[in-house]
Amino acid sequence: MKAIEVNNLKKSFGDFQAVQDASFSAEAGEVLSLLGPNGAGKSTTISMLSGLLAPTDGDACVMGHSVIREPEAAKQSLGVVPQDIALYPDLSARENLVFWGKMYGLRGPALKSRVDEVLEIIGLTDRQKDHVGKFSGGMKRRVNIGAALLHKPSVVIMDEPTVGIDPQSRRHILDNVKELNLQGMTVLYTTHYMEEAAELSHHIAIMDKGKVIAYGTHDALIKMVGEQTRIDMTLNAEAEKMLSDWRATEGVARIDSTDGKVTALVDDSNRVLPRLFEAASRAGVRITSVDIQEPNLETVFLHLTGRALRD
Amino acid sequence: MKILDIAFKDLTRSFRSAFAIGMMVIAPLLLTGLIYFAFGSMSGGDVSMTAIKVGVVNEDQLPADAVLEAPIGDNIRSMFFDESVKSWITASDYPDEAAARAALDRQEIGVVVIIPQKFTGRYLSGKQDVPVLIVSDPTLSIGPAVVEDMVTMMVDGVAGGGIAIQTIMERQQANGIQPDPAQISSWIERYGNWYRDFQRALFHTPDRAALILVAPVAGEAETVDPLQKMMGATMAGQMIFFAFFTAGYAMMSILREDEEGTLARLFTTPTDRTSILTGKFVAVFITVILQGLVLMIAGRFAFGIQWGAPASVALALMAQVIAAAGLGVLLISFVRSTKQGGPVLGGGLTVLGMLGGLFTANIPGGMPVAFDAIANFVPQGWVLKGWRMALDGAPVADLFIPFAATVVMGVVMFAIGARMFKRRFA
Repeated sequence: MKAIEVNNLKKSFGDFQAVQDASFSAEAGEVLSLLGPNGAGKSTTISMLSGLLAPTDGDACVMGHSVIREPEAAKQSLGVVPQDIALYPDLSARENLVFWGKMYGLRGPALKSRVDEVLEIIGLTDRQKDHVGKFSGGMKRRVNIGAALLHKPSVVIMDEPTVGIDPQSRRHILDNVKELNLQGMTVLYTTHYMEEAAELSHHIAIMDKGKVIAYGTHDALIKMVGEQTRIDMTLNAEAEKMLSDWRATEGVARIDSTDGKVTALVDDSNRVLPRLFEAASRAGVRITSVDIQEPNLETVFLHLTGRALRD
Repeated sequence: MKILDIAFKDLTRSFRSAFAIGMMVIAPLLLTGLIYFAFGSMSGGDVSMTAIKVGVVNEDQLPADAVLEAPIGDNIRSMFFDESVKSWITASDYPDEAAARAALDRQEIGVVVIIPQKFTGRYLSGKQDVPVLIVSDPTLSIGPAVVEDMVTMMVDGVAGGGIAIQTIMERQQANGIQPDPAQISSWIERYGNWYRDFQRALFHTPDRAALILVAPVAGEAETVDPLQKMMGATMAGQMIFFAFFTAGYAMMSILREDEEGTLARLFTTPTDRTSILTGKFVAVFITVILQGLVLMIAGRFAFGIQWGAPASVALALMAQVIAAAGLGVLLISFVRSTKQGGPVLGGGLTVLGMLGGLFTANIPGGMPVAFDAIANFVPQGWVLKGWRMALDGAPVADLFIPFAATVVMGVVMFAIGARMFKRRFA
């Protein structure tokens, strides 16, 4: 049985189609990342999975329970970590966890012992009586995650949990995700940081403009762009002046410019780069900076959309 | 169970908020306390009075041809030396006006009553151009007013007796009977004795009084201190106003949770949305009930307010809770954010409170009829009616009409507000 199964999911807000025919799945015990720029439809997709939004069309199942026909059962299998901190600042860390545990049906000694365990997992046992409002951003993030783990869900959805936090807290969260996965939980992780998706995921679904444009393992996605290398360049003149010459250069698979910066996908940078310099020299244009990147998810996104992931 | 968990969480958050506690309990008590001390200080918080020091100069003499046995001035003088007034009037005789004025200047006495030499003669002749003179310390107000009233009543009584005797004599003469001077003297004496006893009994031994004023309610004598009664109405007004505010503020927690993201998170748990909304409504009900109980207990001990019969009080409190919760839910259902919520609650509830008469509960003589009529269209007006009846000692059956009106209004408002919330969040 698949832990998550999304079939032709659609969501429209008036004329705007936020999610269009999204389909992907995750086996039990794996980490699936939804990767895409802001506005790609990631949050809308997980909002439908977690029961916050009703799909316009299509369906999704969590541990075999349809979010449309069996929403309570689907929710019971899910733990949701919202993108923003969703805790009660005037309650202590323990009080927050106890409350959220009750919302998942935990009571009595089982609740107490599970709250103790989760406090241990998130490393806040010593601060459990302090009000969450007094915590640092990173500590709040940890409680935010802890609240989703109380009922030992089969599937955890994490919506961009590392946005706007310091590197140390980010590392802590990524380690937590790995730890949860080692314990057997299926994790659906949304992010626009390709490094996170690359580090954590068994499978990655790349979304753009409401559509799933690629789905597969990290290596499989990289192979989509072959051995192509990404080269970013800045010039001392208008980029458009060089684009037609460079497009005709042997070994250049794709070349575009954005905000005066040129991005090229090339088959072999060692051979192609001198040709690009020669062409520029002939045209009297000087290349002022060069950045070479080996194939990665960013390259894949560029290959698929013609835009950088963070555009 | 989850409904109670949500309600308990909301209550915990409310009672941890200094602002909420301030608006729920401290503000109404503080405002009522200010009114209490303002009015209490006028009577020193105690209605007992210090003795009025009266100096009497009685120069009145009986005319040679008078039918009276003693001058009227003696009656006036004796009034201030009577046993029945000794607890609150200390009277002294002075030989003449100069001596009395000197004592007044030295503040040995507060009021001087000067009965001129020819007072009886001129009075009996019907000319009444030699009045009793009252001189007082200008810094005093109550003492001189009391003395003036006493003199006026005595003189009016004498005048009344004179008219009665004159009428009898005229009737006798009309019937051809010559009035007997000895008989007239006897009549005057009997009338004088009766009038003195009447005055004494009227003010100092009510059980033997010739005239008894009966309160129109329930046939029982009034026993409540007027200050306490005023404080009861004031406290009720404050309690109602802040109960409505508290209900609105408590209901605003749904907007706060929406902004904090916890409402969306709640929706991702296996808790149906009706339970979430119901939990919030339960918290509002409990908050307003607790607030009412705390304020009533505080009012009882701080201001001595007697709220009324327990059953009547319970009904008035329930009406308050239902109306406050209903209006709170309705008002907040129109609001999109907590930033909007403050002005809407503050402005809306203040206007409705004013229309309901919450701030004019103690205006002497009451408000114009039109104003009272408007109060019937706002829930605060009916809640106040219920409380006033409870405070006046009305039995629980008398409260059914205001209770029913409040419940109808509250339930309708609650239903509209809850429906809007369900459409918005469910």
